[in-house]
Amino acid sequence: MEPSKPPKIVCFMCNWAFCEEEISVPYNVNIIRVMCVGRMDPALVIDTFINGADGVLLVGCRPPDCHFVNGNLHAERAVKMLKKLLALTGLEPERLKLMLISPLKNKGFSHYAKEFSVEIWKLRNPTLGREGLLANLKAAKEAASAFRLRVLLGREKELTEFMNAYGEKIPEEQFDALLDDIVRAEFIRYKIHYLTKIKPRSVKELAEILGIKPSAVLRHITNMRRKGMMALDHVEGYTPLYKALEVQ
Amino acid sequence: MTEKLSQEVRKLPPCRAACPAHVNVQAYVALIQKGKFKEAVEVIRKDLPFPAICGRVCFSPCEDACARVNLDQAVAVRSLKRLVADIEHEQGRVIAKPVPKKYSEKVAIIGAGPAGLAAAYELSKLGYPVTVFERMAEPGGMMRYCIPDFRLEKFVVANEIAYIKDLGVEIKTGVEFGKDITLESLKKDGYKAVFLAIGTQLGMKLNVPGEDLDGVINAVDFLRAIALGEKIAVGERVAVIGGGNTAIDAARMAKKLGAREVMILYRRSRGEMPALPHEVELAEKDGIKFYFLVAPKQIIGENGRVKAVECLRMRLGEPDENGRRRPIPIAFSEHQYEVDTVIPALGQMVETSVLPPELLSKEKRGPSLQVDPLTLETNIPGVFAGGDVATGPASIIEAVGAGRRAAVSIHRYLRGWDLRKDRDGERIEETTWVKDWRLLEKKERRYDAPIEKPHLSFEEAREYLERLKRQARFEAFRCLGCGPCAECLASMELCEGDKAVVDEGKCVGCNICAVVCPVEAIKKNEKGVAHVNEDLCKGCGLCAARCPERAISMKKLSDEQVLTMVLTALKR
Repeated sequence: MEPSKPPKIVCFMCNWAFCEEEISVPYNVNIIRVMCVGRMDPALVIDTFINGADGVLLVGCRPPDCHFVNGNLHAERAVKMLKKLLALTGLEPERLKLMLISPLKNKGFSHYAKEFSVEIWKLRNPTLGREGLLANLKAAKEAASAFRLRVLLGREKELTEFMNAYGEKIPEEQFDALLDDIVRAEFIRYKIHYLTKIKPRSVKELAEILGIKPSAVLRHITNMRRKGMMALDHVEGYTPLYKALEVQ
Repeated sequence: MTEKLSQEVRKLPPCRAACPAHVNVQAYVALIQKGKFKEAVEVIRKDLPFPAICGRVCFSPCEDACARVNLDQAVAVRSLKRLVADIEHEQGRVIAKPVPKKYSEKVAIIGAGPAGLAAAYELSKLGYPVTVFERMAEPGGMMRYCIPDFRLEKFVVANEIAYIKDLGVEIKTGVEFGKDITLESLKKDGYKAVFLAIGTQLGMKLNVPGEDLDGVINAVDFLRAIALGEKIAVGERVAVIGGGNTAIDAARMAKKLGAREVMILYRRSRGEMPALPHEVELAEKDGIKFYFLVAPKQIIGENGRVKAVECLRMRLGEPDENGRRRPIPIAFSEHQYEVDTVIPALGQMVETSVLPPELLSKEKRGPSLQVDPLTLETNIPGVFAGGDVATGPASIIEAVGAGRRAAVSIHRYLRGWDLRKDRDGERIEETTWVKDWRLLEKKERRYDAPIEKPHLSFEEAREYLERLKRQARFEAFRCLGCGPCAECLASMELCEGDKAVVDEGKCVGCNICAVVCPVEAIKKNEKGVAHVNEDLCKGCGLCAARCPERAISMKKLSDEQVLTMVLTALKR
């Protein structure tokens, strides 16, 4: 992310969204064709950021043109979640963009690619250092690969449009708040996991780094110990130090 | 060819299921999307020997079945087919490689119409020596002699037939069945199987007084005479009687030959007309008048020539067995149209006089030939019959479907296999997942310029072509791809033919994959783990992206591969 160079952009494009001939793009935009934009695993998108992309553009078909009924809407949900996650890492959520374009009526891909490049160019001053950002992104990637978040994402349509196992229908706003909570919790847990993997740390130390209350950290640690993600390493004086365990 | 299809029950996309010849519509539309026009024609040719002919005159049941109708309008399949076929023609006629003769049993086909030629095409592809006997001077049947030049150019027919000849089919013209050859003489000449596809050559009679007056000419005879190059004098005022495509063709032809006023008299109303709506529109543009709910009572003559046609008004009664409302004459409603030519176009019937009497059906009503509807066997072993002769006048594509069925039957008969086991036809099932679309809001989207300009000659169309190629690809992009991915066969290497794979050890049975799958290809099996039905999987990867345990991966384009692509892209 050097300011002098144009931003590196990776574009995951639906196989069906554009004719191949129509795609002529600025050289800083790399296109990777996938079967459906809904196919993009959230963890894979974060991985792209980890590997040095300045912006990720997801291109799919505008409803109702999706070849896979509602793959584009699945992508929309994933992007909503990813934006929340990116905001926590300190990376601007605007770096991720989902565009749903009609294969029949569009201005040509280069138009959209240039537009996005300019948007990213304007953003180009990450507040965190490269190291801190990378650590955050790695935690975010773990969170995005985690069971809890993925179940919630996969079940969103079911929960908000039909009902859960108890026959309750969850309103969209409530679901959104729930998603917010879980994204935050999962991100913090994996951040703790990442930090304690480097060396054993105390609750107080972790709370300082993360900028949250020690009680909240302790709650997460208890939870993670139960899941077998963490263990007590040793006690220094009266302070217990925790270390991360490899998750199977 | 059809063997594969007939041996397994496959869920077909609606377009392919609706097509009587089961042409792989989804596959060639997918190829057009990718700009692979040549490969698209090859895919069509697998099932249908007449891409250019059907591209012009098919009544396109595929478009009626298209799932896109639920969103806006059907994909213009027929126009696409015409376009790819025309592009191929533009680069010169394609010469097929002759197929080596694998079998020694000779097959005789009577009638070089669409049914006979399709059967010859399939049988020669299987490796049989096939001879087609045709009464007229040129092969092609009704495609050559009954469809006028402005709808279907003669050289298009000639080209497609030349392709069939290239495969090694022998076509003997000027040989009349019943006169020059008979079933016995064919048997004596060593033909082991015979396919009768003589079609329906006789125009139906009006059965009203005055029918033998000068100036009454049957539509089939009229069109055939023109195709043969005979000079036919049409009068100033022409009445065509009937509402089918032949009636429209005859009327338009009469107008083009210089008739001042052409009218079509039809005994039902516009909605019941069997003619294609778009042909009716063209006829109206040509200035042809339509009179509905009138039926001729008699033709009035003067000095042996037609002077007028007297008609009765009709009203529509109860629907008959075909679901069309029966016209009932209104008493004392006689009125006259002053005309000098009357062209009855009431349909055609089988020339029963040429057929051996043992083949004829005893029943008075219904088809005149006794044929098994599935295998197309007649009551003489080794003799098969299909196409219009068996089913009554129908369409080219239905005749092709019959020809293909006959080819399978003849192949099985000659090999001594069971004719009925695992046949297609009744086993064709549509994919059902398209129901999901119906939940979506119907949106109006007009597809701007139609690809096809029926008035263009081939030369004009060629100039038009370049512009059309781009348009065609856009049109093809509208295809929803209802069938599974493997439907595309030839396009396998293009779209990867990806499939999902489940790591059963990781699967926790949450069933999210089944929820997100657009085609119900992945489901929990009895062991409680997800199982992929590869026949249905379209390789979209939605399940892989949602699996909470990341237990599902894609065979060809896995997440790891995407990541490698990302890394190479970012190193650039």
